[in-house]
Amino acid sequence: MSLTARYLEAHGIPTVILGSAKDIVEHCGVPRFVFSDFPLGNSAGKPDDLDSQTATLELAFRMLETAPAPRTTIQSPQRWSASSDWKLDFQNVDRIADAEIKKRRVEFDKIKAIGQKVRDQALSNQTKN
Amino acid sequence: MNSKQTAAFTEEHDIAVPYMQRLRDYYLALGYSNPYRWAQYADVPFTPLGITLDQARVALITTAAPFKEGAGDQGAGAVYNAKAKFYKTYSQSTSNPGFLGISHLGYDRKYSTAADLNSFFPLNALTAAAQQGRIKAVAARFYGTPTNRSQVTTIEQDCVDLLALLTEDEVDLAILTAN
Repeated sequence: MSLTARYLEAHGIPTVILGSAKDIVEHCGVPRFVFSDFPLGNSAGKPDDLDSQTATLELAFRMLETAPAPRTTIQSPQRWSASSDWKLDFQNVDRIADAEIKKRRVEFDKIKAIGQKVRDQALSNQTKN
Repeated sequence: MNSKQTAAFTEEHDIAVPYMQRLRDYYLALGYSNPYRWAQYADVPFTPLGITLDQARVALITTAAPFKEGAGDQGAGAVYNAKAKFYKTYSQSTSNPGFLGISHLGYDRKYSTAADLNSFFPLNALTAAAQQGRIKAVAARFYGTPTNRSQVTTIEQDCVDLLALLTEDEVDLAILTAN
C-alpha cells in the first residue's frame, strides 16, 4: 500500500493510508498516514464498532485537509484494549516453542508452493486473455 | 529515575509493534536466511488537496480479495490461504461490494477474525460521510490491489493499472487501507 500511495501522489492524486504497521509504512515513506495501534487487520477501526470506524475515517479526512508536508503521521488515540499484551504475541519467536517453529517451517514451504502455483496460473490466464 | 518514579508509565512493550524486526527474526528462526528488503525511500511525493473535501470524489483502495470459487475458506477466522490471492488490480461497484476477505494476508489471527468487513474496508463510514456532505461522493467503484512480493511488479504493473481506473472514474483523492 505504501508504494501505491507514493505512485498515486506522484501522479497528482492526494492519498492517505490507514494502517497499523507503523514501522513498515514509515520506513517506506508515505505522504499521509493514520496509524491505529491495533492488531493487523483493523486498519479502519474496531470490528462491529461504527463509532471507532467513523472516528478513524475522520482522522484521515483531517490529514487530507491539514498535513503540511509528506511523512505526516497521526496516531489514533483509540486503544485496542485495556491491556497491551496483544503486542507481544504476533510472530514473536521468543513465545513460540521449537517444535512449533519446525511445524511452521513445513507449513510455510507448503504455502509458498501453493502461492507459486496460483500465481503461475493467474499470470498464464492473463497472458491468454 | 527509579522504579517508583516510573510507576505511572505504561509497560515498556506498549509501543508500536516492531514488525520488521519481528518478521526478520521469525523467518530466520524458520530457516530462511535471506531477509526481505522492505521498501525504503529518501524522498516522498506530496500533492496537496487543492479542493475542499465536500467537493471531492473519494476512492477507496483495498488489499482485500473478492471471493474466489474453489479456493477454500476465505471468511472470518480462516487460516492463511494462499489460494485466495489475486495478481491483478480489480475494481467493483461500491453500491454492492459483496464478499471481501483477507484470508490471503498475514493479519493478526489471534486477536482479529476479519468478521467485520468495515474494520478493514470502511465503506459504511465513507458512505455515511458522503450522505452527511463531509465529502462530495464515494467513487462508483472501489479498487483492489494485489500484494505482490515483487515491488517492481507493484510499481510497474499494479500501480499503472490502478491509476488508469482512478483517472477513468475521475476521483479526487484516495483512501488506502492496509492489512
